[in-house]
Amino acid sequence: MRQDFIKFPLHLIVHPFDSFWDMKYEGKGKIRVTLTILLLVVISMILKNQFAGFLVNYNDPRHLNSITQLFTIVFPFFLWCLSNWAITTLMDGEGKFKEIMMATGYALVPIVIIYTPMVIASRFMAEEETTFYYLMMTISSIWFVALLFVGIMTVHQYTVPKAIVTMLLTVVVMGIVVFLGALVLSMLQQIIEFFVNIYRELTFRT
Amino acid sequence: MIAKKWLLAVMAASLLLFHAAPAPAYAESTPYESYNYNYWEEAVPAPAAYIPDRTLSGKDLGVGDFRDPGDMVVAASGLIYIVDSGNGRIVCLDSDWKVNKVISGFDNQGKADTFKNPSGLYVNHEGNLFVADTDNGRIVVLSQDGVLLRMIEQPQSDILPADFKFIPVKVTVDQAERVYVIAKGIFEGIMQFDQNGDFIGYVGTNKVKRDYTEYVWRMLSTKAQKAQMALFVPTEFSNIDVDSKGFLYATNIDPGSKEPIKRLNPSGEDVLKRFGYFDIKGDIRFRLSVGPSKFTDIKVLANGMYSALDANQGKVFTYNDEGDLLYVYGGKGNQVGTFKIPVAVEFSGGNQLVLDRGKGNIVIFKPTRFGTRVNQAVGYHYNGEDAQAVPVWREVLQLNSNYDIAYIGIGKSLLMEKNNKEALEYFELGMDRDGYSVAFKRYRREVMQEHFGTFLTAIMVLAAVWIAFKLFSFWRRKRLSETSKQASQNLKEGKAHEAGFH
Repeated sequence: MRQDFIKFPLHLIVHPFDSFWDMKYEGKGKIRVTLTILLLVVISMILKNQFAGFLVNYNDPRHLNSITQLFTIVFPFFLWCLSNWAITTLMDGEGKFKEIMMATGYALVPIVIIYTPMVIASRFMAEEETTFYYLMMTISSIWFVALLFVGIMTVHQYTVPKAIVTMLLTVVVMGIVVFLGALVLSMLQQIIEFFVNIYRELTFRT
Repeated sequence: MIAKKWLLAVMAASLLLFHAAPAPAYAESTPYESYNYNYWEEAVPAPAAYIPDRTLSGKDLGVGDFRDPGDMVVAASGLIYIVDSGNGRIVCLDSDWKVNKVISGFDNQGKADTFKNPSGLYVNHEGNLFVADTDNGRIVVLSQDGVLLRMIEQPQSDILPADFKFIPVKVTVDQAERVYVIAKGIFEGIMQFDQNGDFIGYVGTNKVKRDYTEYVWRMLSTKAQKAQMALFVPTEFSNIDVDSKGFLYATNIDPGSKEPIKRLNPSGEDVLKRFGYFDIKGDIRFRLSVGPSKFTDIKVLANGMYSALDANQGKVFTYNDEGDLLYVYGGKGNQVGTFKIPVAVEFSGGNQLVLDRGKGNIVIFKPTRFGTRVNQAVGYHYNGEDAQAVPVWREVLQLNSNYDIAYIGIGKSLLMEKNNKEALEYFELGMDRDGYSVAFKRYRREVMQEHFGTFLTAIMVLAAVWIAFKLFSFWRRKRLSETSKQASQNLKEGKAHEAGFH
């Protein structure tokens, strides 16, 4: 328990190359840990938006919605995993879907461990000190991207340029998926409307 | 019995009458919607600061209808001058709205001379009239009684092109008797003349902003196409006013500008304070079909406030010296208090006056309790009497609890009184992050000074506990390892014993 949930993720964020290797070949990662991390990211995001100090919190409290925040994190996460899986199967990636999910989830750990302490610290900051807050936030994002990069590289056994190209292509595929999804939804809506109309016509005729 | 019936009838009638009588005209009703912008740039309804009181047309004054009046000025003496452009005359009213005199011409070296479509006027502190006599191409300076003092005509200068034609539109004079003129077809800025009427130069040029798409488009065009394109010229100024310190307030009508209002120092730099939440450009949100605010007049009021007149929507925007939007009133329409073509805004004895060229009348707006209190509080704050401003701001908040500037005002006063904790709350309500930061720093220092002892004790205790825990665990591990060593030794011995036994 402690090994899976605390020790390995904390080891991973400072030793990404070894740990992602262990994850792939030694079976160290766990899907339930990934999902827990995802949940923690959502919670820390909500905490940040709701409770960060006044000087750094530019959110309109009237428009904050935890359900929306949940979806703005969970939906892109799965979209990323799906797109990455789709593109890497075409580009000789060795990673399985499960491994992609785990690599992406474990890469989010720095966000969890930096956000919450910074939210607390931001409540005791004056305006000049908020630079530190933004610095830490930026560090957490860069750290996340770097871990994600190493994770993708290791999981698929890619070279550096290929990993970069794949990640960029993944973003493109994400866009395509969203577009197709919207298209299908609107088509479905029109089809349903069409049948509803036929039904209405028929009921009026008889 | 009959008396009772009769009494009943009277009662019924009185009841009926009471209900049937028209409700008294709602004292604070306006034909426009009052609003102000909140921190999130949403237009939030607000109480009206000014309500239309009455209108005055030329006919009401007994001087005949105004024809396309172009400008209006209130002199320091309280006299109100209206430039009746179409009739080529200047109508002077006293503060009781009675006609004082009508200047329709003057004596020019023995000859009777008249104005031709004058469109601008300024009255200096001595009461001399500076008339921008547009179609005659000159500035006429008259004394208070209408005697010609001097004229500024076609300026001579090397920097002016040879075919230059002087068409003055608006005029303003500062304390040093320098004359500032906005002239038609002049894009270089405001023309500046010295005391003798000699042209000095331009001040406050509007910068040309190049649109990026336009730039690319231009690159792709042929020479012939380029020749047909509109030139990139700076926008003209639309009006000017001068404040008590000699700074010029100028408006321009550049539709895309974020800075349509400028405060120019004597060397022509824009020094307007823009500390508010959003740009000083009138409406922040507007319908695209209506477009952004287009300022045609500006009036500097007391205590650093200034009102700008938006001709596009017929609204008057009033700001304080720090660039916060205080209130908005007016609108387009046909009712009293709305305008057709507003051209000038003025301030006289607490009332604001707007000259409407389209209707040929003056609308007099009187302040409501809300408007009066806001003006008062802004005045106290401007003069550094923040403590006195607080009760006034509190009253403003009773009238409009969405009024951010009041929260900030109270916060600033509390900050002065070193009441930092309470100031924090008010700054947060007013969404003033700078003020909040200052208050927070002071408050934090206060708390630290007060609780430093306890804080340090707590840290010491925690450290001691931690060290004790470490020592304890070290000792326990040592003992454990010792016992395990012993146990393994025992085991070995036992094994050996067993081996020997066999």
